[in-house]
Amino acid sequence: MKRIIAVLCLVFLVALIPAAAFAAYPEKPIRMVNYVGPGGLMDVTSRKFVSIAAKYTDATFVVENKEGAGGLVGMQAVLEQPADGYTIFAATTSNIAKVLTSKKNVDEFIWGFEWIAMLMQDPECLIAAKDSPLNTWEAVHKDAMEKNGGQLWTGPAAGGNDHLMAMKVWDKSGMSAKWIPYSTGPEAMMALLSGQGAVYVGNPADIGGREGFSIIAVARKERLAKFPDAPTFVELGVEGLEEEAMWRGFAMKKGSPEEAMLWWEELLKKVAADSEWKEFLEKDGIDVVDYGREKFNAQVRKDIDNFTVYLKKYGLIK
Amino acid sequence: MDLFSHLLDGLGALMGITPLLVIMAGVAIGILAGAMPGISPSMAVALLLPFSFGMTPSMGLVLLCAIYLASNYGGSITAVMVNTPGTPSAVVTAFDGYPLTRKGDAGTALGVSLVASVAGGFIGIIILVLFSAPLARMALKFWPAEYFALAILGLSTIASLGGGRWLESFMAVLLGLLLNTIGLDPLSGVSRFTFDVVRLYDGFSFIPVLIGLFALSEVFSGIESGEVGIPPVQPDKERSPWPTVREYLKLKYSMIRAGILGTVIGVFPGAGGTIASFIAYDVEKRLSKDPDSFGKGAPAGVAAAEASNSSSVGGALVPLLTLGIPGSSSAAVLIGALMIHDLQPGPELFTRHPEVVYTLFSSLFVANIFLLLLGLLGARLWIKAALIPKRLLYPMIFAFSFIGSYAVRSSLFDVGVCLVFGLLGWLLSRSKIPVSPIVLGMILGTMIEKNLRTTIMMGGVSLFFQRPLSLTLLVLAFASVVIPFIREKKRTGGGL
Repeated sequence: MKRIIAVLCLVFLVALIPAAAFAAYPEKPIRMVNYVGPGGLMDVTSRKFVSIAAKYTDATFVVENKEGAGGLVGMQAVLEQPADGYTIFAATTSNIAKVLTSKKNVDEFIWGFEWIAMLMQDPECLIAAKDSPLNTWEAVHKDAMEKNGGQLWTGPAAGGNDHLMAMKVWDKSGMSAKWIPYSTGPEAMMALLSGQGAVYVGNPADIGGREGFSIIAVARKERLAKFPDAPTFVELGVEGLEEEAMWRGFAMKKGSPEEAMLWWEELLKKVAADSEWKEFLEKDGIDVVDYGREKFNAQVRKDIDNFTVYLKKYGLIK
Repeated sequence: MDLFSHLLDGLGALMGITPLLVIMAGVAIGILAGAMPGISPSMAVALLLPFSFGMTPSMGLVLLCAIYLASNYGGSITAVMVNTPGTPSAVVTAFDGYPLTRKGDAGTALGVSLVASVAGGFIGIIILVLFSAPLARMALKFWPAEYFALAILGLSTIASLGGGRWLESFMAVLLGLLLNTIGLDPLSGVSRFTFDVVRLYDGFSFIPVLIGLFALSEVFSGIESGEVGIPPVQPDKERSPWPTVREYLKLKYSMIRAGILGTVIGVFPGAGGTIASFIAYDVEKRLSKDPDSFGKGAPAGVAAAEASNSSSVGGALVPLLTLGIPGSSSAAVLIGALMIHDLQPGPELFTRHPEVVYTLFSSLFVANIFLLLLGLLGARLWIKAALIPKRLLYPMIFAFSFIGSYAVRSSLFDVGVCLVFGLLGWLLSRSKIPVSPIVLGMILGTMIEKNLRTTIMMGGVSLFFQRPLSLTLLVLAFASVVIPFIREKKRTGGGL
């Protein structure tokens, strides 16, 4: 009798094997690791993505928050997991900048990932206080030339995406200024309002709901529909700043199953076409994209090259 | 009068079973979360954030603000009962609250901390509702020079913290400042003393350090002294353990002063309730007729600490609602909550969604009343903790210390940090070196360094003395360190 039971068990188990091997991805909850706390920008984005993805898939997503070291803690946590496609890193451009400025191994921290889904491009822009005499690009530029490097620009952490944008602006427009970093973007905006600096570097969404700010230049080919009064850099006579944006997207550990990556690329296409998702982002002047692996990896490669040039030029790395 | 009709409208919106239950749940969760070492108010708000997604924007915000308010009080329960501040801002509450408990007067400590919390909470909200616009204008006058000066003023409170042992206090505060240099340089991002350990890039997590220095070190000292039985002092069975109304009224000025200070300091992003409680405590000690009782179980010390950190909640909401800038890390989570509901934080909220703002204001009043009721109910339970024999209490504290440290970032590294700081705290207290100045040094270190360097980048050292506000604060700080010395010298007739 015991033998019969044993054989039956074995048969039952063997019958399970093909089911396990051929089960469609995803067959268990997908963890989405965020490098910011709940309520942070990427956290809000991830949760919104998950709520919209629910229209198109039955998969369960769990948004987790692994904060610390500008994303390095979260990246490390994902890299320590098996490459099975069930742990996703929710990334932004800032993470690439962080890996470079903290001199971490690029092959491990950036190319240890496959960049599978880029969701959006949030255009970079220059913001000034409305009541300040320096509330146009011309005035800022003129003042910067007069002060010869003494003009102050505010923004979040040194070496981050916004600081890099500032360096590009200084380089392309032939001016120089000083970067005063604050703990967070909002604190830097408050500093701008209190007259501590001339310009804040950020994104159009930053001025939503807040009074006393105006966008003086947008790093985009055309003006934003949401902010039709804000000129582009090209209009202001500054070339080479037509596509500066902060992206947000998802990455998976390199070596994850092809099936999982394809699944994500397809899901992204569906979410990107969803009207609720578009409305959520476009009201803040963000461009919705649906870049899969090829285009996203190319974007990351471009960012690394680009950032390295400027970080070296301004002495942040050797 | 417009304001009052708006507030009444807001209050009307809360008069239903659901809103009242939401507030009550928020307050209860907040008290419990605050009392758990390892869950700070901002974490408590963040943890419950997903629950608010399914609610209306007003209700979601009401829930989160109730949690925020109550968790600031919750931290004081464990601070008072077992010397384990549940939140960073409850460190100061432990200074006098725990000695009171050791003297067998846990009822006074618990009662005063609750009543002061509620009083402070009310003061904070009243100031928020009436004076948010002028306070926001004042916040804009604060440049890095002023933040630096404020932090120095905060640091000057060590002159009174050590209770005469100024040299030891000074050493401890220096240690705190030195520990703060570990991590990424706040301005250039260069890593300092991190040995390439990613976990150290942000420096030590504050909560494991706090739990180690206060809770674990107390356990180690207790084991060393061999007192493992039932606490030596039993509460007096004849007398009610709770303070009388008259005793509370005696502390009214302390609460009002601390409440105003807490609100004002809470307005400045990055300063917050913790610094407010240190400064308010210092002020009360200096004004007291019996300053020597502070640190040994002075109810006024508990009142000052609690009133100021609870009132800072109102303060932190000022820049959030007027400028769209969070005044504290919990307020930053509230911004996320607003964004999820497609509401933009900032002045537009008043014009476009006044119902949300005024419901929020009214709910804070209601939440404070619930805090008093639930707090009184809870206190009857907490006071029993004084009767737990140490041989049971110590293992419990030990376990909760580890769980709390792990919970902050789900990291075993932080458990190690807690243990190391526990040993450090024990060794220091054996040498009669106070540990609270270490905490102060760690809270203020980054603020001092960042704002000093930013000011120098902006216009050199002279900027500190050219700006009237920063000069005033610096002079105050200088005076508050020097005057006690001069007095002491006069009294003892020379020699330090």
